Amino acid sequence: MESSWKLTDTQLRKWLSGLLDGNSVVAPVEEDGVLLFRPIASEDQAVVKPSGKTRWSPKEFLFPRSEALYRYNFKGGTVQLEDPPVPEEHQVLFGVRSCDASGLVRLDEIFLSGTKDRLYAARRENTTVVSAACAAADVECFCTAVGYSPVGEEGSDVQLVPLGEDWMLRVLTDKGRDLVSDAGDGWTAATAKDGKRIAELEKSVAGQIERSPVNREWSQVLEEGFEHGAWDRLAQHCLGCSVCAYVCPSCSCFDMNHEANAWCGEQCRSWDACTFPLFTHHASGHNPRETKQERYRQRVLHKFAFREEDEDPFRCVGCGRCVSLCPAGLDIVNTVSAAVEAIREEGADAAR
Amino acid sequence: MTEANVTAAKSEAGAVPENWKPHIVALVCNWCSYAGADMAGTTRREYPANVRMMRFPCTGRMSPLMILRAFEQGADGVLVSGCHPGDCHYVQGNLVARRRFTIFRSLMDFIGVDLKRLHFAWVSAAEGHKWAKVVSEVTTSVQEAGPLPSFEHPEGWGGIDLPEMTGSGPQELDEQRLDAIRANLRKAASEVLTTERAGVVIGYGSGSLPDQTHPVLITKTAECEKLEWGQGCRNNLGAYVGSALEKHERVAVVAKTCDLGAISGLIREGQLRRDQLLVIGVQCPGVRDGSGLATKCLSCSGDPHPICDLVVTVEGVQESCEDPSAAALDTPDARDEQIAYLESLPHEERWQYWQRQFGRCLRCYACRAACPLCYCSTCITDKHRPQWVPTSIDHPGNSTWNIIRAVHLAGRCTGCDECARVCPADIRLDLINRKLSLEVERQYGKIGLDPEEKSALVDFRMEDSEEFIL
Repeated sequence: MESSWKLTDTQLRKWLSGLLDGNSVVAPVEEDGVLLFRPIASEDQAVVKPSGKTRWSPKEFLFPRSEALYRYNFKGGTVQLEDPPVPEEHQVLFGVRSCDASGLVRLDEIFLSGTKDRLYAARRENTTVVSAACAAADVECFCTAVGYSPVGEEGSDVQLVPLGEDWMLRVLTDKGRDLVSDAGDGWTAATAKDGKRIAELEKSVAGQIERSPVNREWSQVLEEGFEHGAWDRLAQHCLGCSVCAYVCPSCSCFDMNHEANAWCGEQCRSWDACTFPLFTHHASGHNPRETKQERYRQRVLHKFAFREEDEDPFRCVGCGRCVSLCPAGLDIVNTVSAAVEAIREEGADAAR
Repeated sequence: MTEANVTAAKSEAGAVPENWKPHIVALVCNWCSYAGADMAGTTRREYPANVRMMRFPCTGRMSPLMILRAFEQGADGVLVSGCHPGDCHYVQGNLVARRRFTIFRSLMDFIGVDLKRLHFAWVSAAEGHKWAKVVSEVTTSVQEAGPLPSFEHPEGWGGIDLPEMTGSGPQELDEQRLDAIRANLRKAASEVLTTERAGVVIGYGSGSLPDQTHPVLITKTAECEKLEWGQGCRNNLGAYVGSALEKHERVAVVAKTCDLGAISGLIREGQLRRDQLLVIGVQCPGVRDGSGLATKCLSCSGDPHPICDLVVTVEGVQESCEDPSAAALDTPDARDEQIAYLESLPHEERWQYWQRQFGRCLRCYACRAACPLCYCSTCITDKHRPQWVPTSIDHPGNSTWNIIRAVHLAGRCTGCDECARVCPADIRLDLINRKLSLEVERQYGKIGLDPEEKSALVDFRMEDSEEFIL
């Protein structure tokens, strides 16, 4: 276990303080009572606790809410085009929960498979993720029900595991090693007993999550019952906002928008969501997903169905934010199980 | 966005550069002020050249969005000018505009825009001299105010602590009494469906998290057992009435006292007819927001209001037949002290206070979705030709969105606080709404519950106050 250490909270803060030198460090910060990821200027701003989530995921530091893809200027009767500079500063995402770290990997699958997205790839290349395993589940958490873990390593370069007052720091990748290379002086190596704590945490947090698991075979049932009448009933109280998509660690949809005045302008990529009617609205006026029920179904299926291979993970990482923040109290896991039950009972073609 | 030419004057350090001259956008009416400016020219009047004019048919055409757009694009000041009251070429355009500007101006002040930047004037076609004088005064005033503060996150700003909100809240209802209410509500709903007084009952069903409910649309008497009642019943179900009416001729809706204003507003604004609606008012224990009672509940009695058709209490279900015109909303509000405190701060600090919150806005439009009175089929922010509200999710567009949402609800919002409740970024939209309600009430009288009443901002009086107009 040469790559894991046991750190006191003071040692952890000191290490964090060292990271501020040469990196942009993004960590949970409390702002007007809301816990959010923000770039920090000093280590004492960071709120790193054994459990508890930020209001939304840190995805905006890889996939910004809005970013310019190109800019232009009218000068001297000509148009001057300009590529926004590729982000070069190295950033550390600190204190990311396991679910959110997995969410970033789901984003990678969208932006880095096939044609790589230039800006996303540059940011990803320059980002190191320091995750924090959970010692307790929030009421809305359900990671273990969708195949993820409160101590999951996916997407983490360095993992912090809460050991009561102390933390175990585990280096998981080469990128992670670079972050601790010259900080390890005076740290105590973690013992085998500390290592066992990970499994204990996983068991105890899983015990707090009361939801029954989402079965992987349901994906196919959901796809077969695409036209089933249950969807209409299950989502009739959806209000059609996009809280669920914007707080989601793995939602990756965007729109192109143009901001301009008489002298200059820019083409931007901004977050968008399948729950909005405009998302699929064609220029002709036709909308292939005309009702909010169809739109909500799209979101649910994109998380739990439409998988290329059976072994692919669900795109829902189980953070539960969409459940606790939905203005209309929609619950994605309950929707899935209710839809599956209805499709199985009434047959995939039961009318609306 | 990229640097607009008009903002080029600002130095990076924040200090006002020497020889700095303000950029001012003037929105003028075609008939009076534009001709007045022309008159100033032909009579060789001299005045500062900092003003860029935009010509509109009438002040009545000028939306606050146009003023916001100017600030967003880097203008340091805006002047709005049109015909004197009584001179409008469209008879009443400027009179309606006067109310709109009065309310908008108070909101701009509240969010921290120095009012030295925002001016209104009546200048007739004959008043070339007045135009020159107004432009000189406005230029001096904007020069004093300095460059417009940036739309950005106030880095390193410590924040402010607003006074605690207190209030006794509604009468406490123990579990036994809540059970009684629940049973009565289910009985009432089931009767409504059996007697076909409505085709659907919109109520609350139990949610998946502790203390959470979700709206349910019940069409079968057997399902009435699903109806919940308690401190988790947060939604204003008025938001579902419109879509329910697409499928049913008559809709019954379960309502708390705080929901009724919006329901009444929907009738007042012609979105539904009173006879399409059966309002089931239920005695309310207050709703929970986090660990305590929601702010709106602190000064509410929880008693069902006279505009309901059916009233459900611990005792039973009664038909109500009181006169809605006498009904008014409760005045005292726990927020008023916070608003007064914010108003006592310098405008720079208010700007930082709101910029930090607007910066968090994700533009998820949950505020719009949850609001029963945001019923436009296409919201102004979804209109892209022309695009009035920038779609990019950052400070300028977020500020415009949050301001214009509130302006569009001024004189209509009745404080159900749904927008603030559903905001994932905890933006204090309730403070903004309440501030506007207070201003509308101060200027034009109370927003009542009477569906027959006209909304303040689509109405006017010749004698409306205009002390701020040059």
